[in-house]
Amino acid sequence: MTELDTRPPEAAPPRTDVDDLVQHDRVHGSVYTDPEVFELEMEQIFRRGWVYVGHESEVPEPGDYVTRRIGGQPVILTRGKDGVVRVLMNRCAHRGNRLCNAESGNSTTFRCPYHGWTFNNDGSLVGVPMRTGYDKEFLARRSEIGLAPTARTDSYRGFVFASLAAEGITLAEHLGRATTAIDRLLALSPDGRLDLRAGWMKHQHMSNWKMVMENNVDGYHALFTHESVYSAVREAKVSHVPSKVEVCVRDMGDGHSEIDYSAEYTRLDEEFVWFGRAPRAKLPNYVAAMERAHGPADTHRALVVGPPHTLIFPNLFLAEMNIMMVEPIAPGETVAYTTPALIPGQDELNGRMLRRTEGAMGPAGFLIADDGEIGARNQLGLAARKPDWIVLARGRDTDEADETGLVNHDKSAETPQRGWWAHWAEVLGGRYNSRDGAES
Amino acid sequence: MTEPAAATGTPVDPALEPDVLAFLHLEARLADEARYSEWESLWAADGVYWVPMGPDHDPRVNLSYVYDNRKRIRSRVAQLNSGARHSQTPPSVMRRLLTNVEVLDRGADTVTVGANFVLYEYRHALTTWAGRVVHTVRRRPDGSLELVAKTVHLVNAGGPVPTLAFLI
Repeated sequence: MTELDTRPPEAAPPRTDVDDLVQHDRVHGSVYTDPEVFELEMEQIFRRGWVYVGHESEVPEPGDYVTRRIGGQPVILTRGKDGVVRVLMNRCAHRGNRLCNAESGNSTTFRCPYHGWTFNNDGSLVGVPMRTGYDKEFLARRSEIGLAPTARTDSYRGFVFASLAAEGITLAEHLGRATTAIDRLLALSPDGRLDLRAGWMKHQHMSNWKMVMENNVDGYHALFTHESVYSAVREAKVSHVPSKVEVCVRDMGDGHSEIDYSAEYTRLDEEFVWFGRAPRAKLPNYVAAMERAHGPADTHRALVVGPPHTLIFPNLFLAEMNIMMVEPIAPGETVAYTTPALIPGQDELNGRMLRRTEGAMGPAGFLIADDGEIGARNQLGLAARKPDWIVLARGRDTDEADETGLVNHDKSAETPQRGWWAHWAEVLGGRYNSRDGAES
Repeated sequence: MTEPAAATGTPVDPALEPDVLAFLHLEARLADEARYSEWESLWAADGVYWVPMGPDHDPRVNLSYVYDNRKRIRSRVAQLNSGARHSQTPPSVMRRLLTNVEVLDRGADTVTVGANFVLYEYRHALTTWAGRVVHTVRRRPDGSLELVAKTVHLVNAGGPVPTLAFLI
């Protein structure tokens, strides 16, 4: 019985057989709407697998913290006095009060307002008021009582992930080829660092979390969903007509996928196409810092190739120069958090980045507001139970396997979605996080 | 131009010119009725339309929901006018109340006015928006008025915020 499970004990176990819901080129519509599927996702994906929690730049100093949720469970991402970044369950070990109620701050201790129990930000219990009221047995056990850490915390180049399961695959195994996307983003930073402290837009989407995620790597929708931008505001950075561009989509394996503009940008051999085609002259300090760090040739290449457009299963999207993390709330409700991936010390670049993020992303963004609307209508449409299936067949006969994954040179191919769903079925079927096929 | 006033402020002058108040009511009504081009025509060449994510935020370092200079205001209106801005097709049905109006500041040719607002938006369902709105209005030499700054401090700026594609 799981924590969020409110069914009576005599209720039947979930009837959901995931393999009945995902086939090679289609998925059953109920994957977006069925509360049982949602509950199974919370268990298999968010309580057993690796989930993105935050970035080390959000807690740069000892005592810094931000509060987050992993599959609905409140956690604190905090840096201890020892400099170690930890992810702790945000629940007083005494009577269960949510301990830390601010979004962010700095404190090396957390004091529960209910009965005054105080915890160090490494999780240890450091103060119990009126301790004479406790017997020897309790006082002997006191050192064992503390904030529960997430079972495992690990990071890759500043991106912090946690798993609520004590056992399972490593973060490196989970990320697989997706590290290449993080590397690609960090290649645009002179010192390989980012600053994710401009603030998070929190956009409520009235659609299923998977719809919010998989839409990010859908190379098919832009001409239609975002028609108003390209017709009334400005042309797309490169064409969204697949036959006109060397843009590919890629199933990177392990549920990760991307739209990759690098071949097209390399063909154009033009810097900053991905940044509104800003000329070098507008960003002299940034370009100089890049050249000092990486040399002219690698700088040119990084500025041509640009940032990743990559989804990292299950809840992180490297949205070019933005970071998006997605939190499922209910089968038909999701919150998307978005912030720009600022480069430390690069004010001229960062100022432009803030305005670009506002222009494209979030509840009022020229792009994402419409994605939110389309997602909401998808959810409304799926209230119709027929036809049974969502069709994801586009480009299935032209996928090509190579060392980077499964690639399709038609950017409108539904290759990323097929990769997402194949992985999703593996995870929900309990076959992935343990990698041995056994339920953990 | 006058710096955008903070979410709160101290009234400096009990008297607000009737034509400035009428201008604010017109701005509200044009936004409510999705009369986008007429709404755009209220704006000065140096206008800034700002919806911050926190009351003390600085747009130079903090992300905002909206931080539109005049060029982006034009783009926003062009997108709304395209008929393909799905998140406002059809437009939300809206009515807003502007109340507790106070003069917060006066410049040589500007007046900054703070007010509370409540906005009822009907789309898939009825959504209530509320907050503090601060307008800076400039009187041109010919006596007519133009909008220099509009800052909207949502009470729920901390989020999550539903899709906000209309003119708030």
